[in-house]
Amino acid sequence: MKSWKSLQALLVSLVMVMVVTACGGNAGSKPADSSTAEGSANSGSASGDVKITLLNSKGEIQTQLEDAAKAFKEDYPNITLEIIPVPAGQSPFEKASALYAANSPSTITMLDTGDVEKFKDRILDLSEEKWMSDKVDGSTDLTTFDGKNYAFPLSIEGYGFIYNKAVVDKAVGGSFDPATITTTQALGDLFKKIEASGTGALIVSPMDWSLAAHFLPLAYAGQSADKAAVNQFITDLQAGSVDLASNKVFNGLMDTFDLMKEHNIDKASPLAGTYEKGPEVLGKGEVGIWFQGNWAWPQISSFDTASGAYGFLPVPISNNTDDFGNTQISAAVSKRLVLDKEKSTTEQQAAAKTFLEWMVYKEKGQDFLINKANIVPAFKNITLEPKDPLAKSIQAYIAGGKIEESMSALPADHWSKVGASMQKYLAGAADRATLAKEIQEYWTTVK
Amino acid sequence: MISEKGLWSRIRLRLLFTGPTLFAFATVMIVPFLYGIYLTFTNWDGISTTSTMVGFENYAYVWKDAVFWKSFYLTLKYVFISVALVNVAAFLLAYFLSSGMKGQSFFRAGFFIPNLVGGIVLGFVWQFIFSNVLVSIGQKAGISIFGTSWLADPDKAFFALIIVTVWQYAGYMMVIYVAGLMNVPKDIMEAASIDGATAFRKLRTMILPLMVPSFIVCVFLSLQRTFMVYDLNLTLTKGGPFKSTEMVSMHVYEKAFLSRDYGVGQAEALVLFLLVAGITLLQVYFSKKLEVEA
Repeated sequence: MKSWKSLQALLVSLVMVMVVTACGGNAGSKPADSSTAEGSANSGSASGDVKITLLNSKGEIQTQLEDAAKAFKEDYPNITLEIIPVPAGQSPFEKASALYAANSPSTITMLDTGDVEKFKDRILDLSEEKWMSDKVDGSTDLTTFDGKNYAFPLSIEGYGFIYNKAVVDKAVGGSFDPATITTTQALGDLFKKIEASGTGALIVSPMDWSLAAHFLPLAYAGQSADKAAVNQFITDLQAGSVDLASNKVFNGLMDTFDLMKEHNIDKASPLAGTYEKGPEVLGKGEVGIWFQGNWAWPQISSFDTASGAYGFLPVPISNNTDDFGNTQISAAVSKRLVLDKEKSTTEQQAAAKTFLEWMVYKEKGQDFLINKANIVPAFKNITLEPKDPLAKSIQAYIAGGKIEESMSALPADHWSKVGASMQKYLAGAADRATLAKEIQEYWTTVK
Repeated sequence: MISEKGLWSRIRLRLLFTGPTLFAFATVMIVPFLYGIYLTFTNWDGISTTSTMVGFENYAYVWKDAVFWKSFYLTLKYVFISVALVNVAAFLLAYFLSSGMKGQSFFRAGFFIPNLVGGIVLGFVWQFIFSNVLVSIGQKAGISIFGTSWLADPDKAFFALIIVTVWQYAGYMMVIYVAGLMNVPKDIMEAASIDGATAFRKLRTMILPLMVPSFIVCVFLSLQRTFMVYDLNLTLTKGGPFKSTEMVSMHVYEKAFLSRDYGVGQAEALVLFLLVAGITLLQVYFSKKLEVEA
């Protein structure tokens, strides 16, 4: 009996200890200082060391970000930045919401553009930040709600047909000029010329995200050069008042897609391909063209046989050179950084803001963005030249004003649901009328 | 000793032993389950700080969600075929590997190993086999059925799933059947031999009836595991090509996390839970009646 009592006492005290220490943990992290951290290196040390975390959803720059965290620490010794990767196969939204559900959000979270709005009750208003005056025009429009901008535009990404210059040079017998490909007709001729020169024309990667998050949205964005008209088109799609089967841009894009299907080296089994095969055959020069974006550069470069000569071609939607979309490539800010305001202390918030400024204004930060991570920045003050040919190509299109803004705020399940319909069409299991019908049906279910 | 004490001290003593597991069970099973039921009545999207009660709207949606019922039907088909094949294969393996052949423990271990590999890894391994190894063999040897990837064709992808499932679970079920076979009383078998019964007669009228308990366990386990298949589905086919092999668990997951409709996703999960629970309980109830005593 006696030992039973002492056991009880032990249990009770154990519980007490747990409760007390848990409270202590909370009390220790209460906000103290509300001013923004100073820009200079050592002045912020009065408040002690600050540890912040960054949830990285751009897997290909994980090591670069870790190096950047070290470089940042050299400039600001009292701030420790830790990078948390989003596991492969998990969406940034899923990981970020799981962290919020567990009450331990990262200080900085890297989100896709369309997800920012969902988090807007939990993240900081960044409208007053210094970099707001140096950002590229329109780069924060999609993350501005009620006049307040909630996100830092991290990278501009663009996509189109990537060509291997060595292969197309050989095909056209001389130096290939990308400006000559502005119609579906011209693209078809180029495919034939490449095939005549003895290599495959192009590879169509059958991933649902590539087909429905990148390729098909060209039909939405290409409706008009006027953003408001595009938004109206999306609203009409949701209302079910669009007839895609008779839509000129959609049909034009699908004509191009038919052409791609016809010259696809994986024609025999169009759905068997994987993402990994694309950069390999393009880099090795087994095909001349691949539909993809500048994020594929690290993979292409590891197979490169064209001494780094690659570039983008627009995806033509008609045989009229002047139509919108025939000379433009699709690009937009794709990844955004948001700062948590729920669980982060004021010091952490200030430190996170310092990190954002560091990337835009400090030499080491710019070096990380451009040289290390191969990012096309959304800031006008950064003058460093990118080294990778695809980023250069995008910057050239941006400089020439030849940009069609990508649809980066599509509904979250668009790529998966519509991707399945696109795959069906690619495999020949559905015709164009079925595809148009399925896309229209999808849009009417969007809440 | 226990009965001598009062009610409180009895409860206290029981809590001491069952308390920790009860606590764990409540926190990881009961509470999330009840909270999940609560979520089915809301339109929460997974992150927003507010959500509104929508009553039975989500259940009405589940009823109307044709894709959910289509993937449920597909899952039923998959479960039916895999459970049958897994158990037939496992029983045959067990039967031959307990007939006293040379090296039978080695073979038993060999067939059991796939079960030690996790579903995720297994899916990736087989994805490579189906879309690379078999295709290159098929192209070199001119076997047209392997000429293109199985995973790119809706029907073949479905059977690819079944093949891998059978390969994965047959070894595990085999172990249970081996144990069942060993428990068949030797005296009955000996008496049958003396009476001149053939091997087939012994199998049909003695071994099979005496092994009903093993069958109940194996069918139950394979039913429950194949109904809940997700990892294999995700890594082997990703529900593709064009969502033709999307099993119901995957559909529920995508509803909640991809379409960001927690309410509907939870409601579908609950409906699925009730259906699966109903089917497995019926199976156990009816097969219990088949049990015999030696």
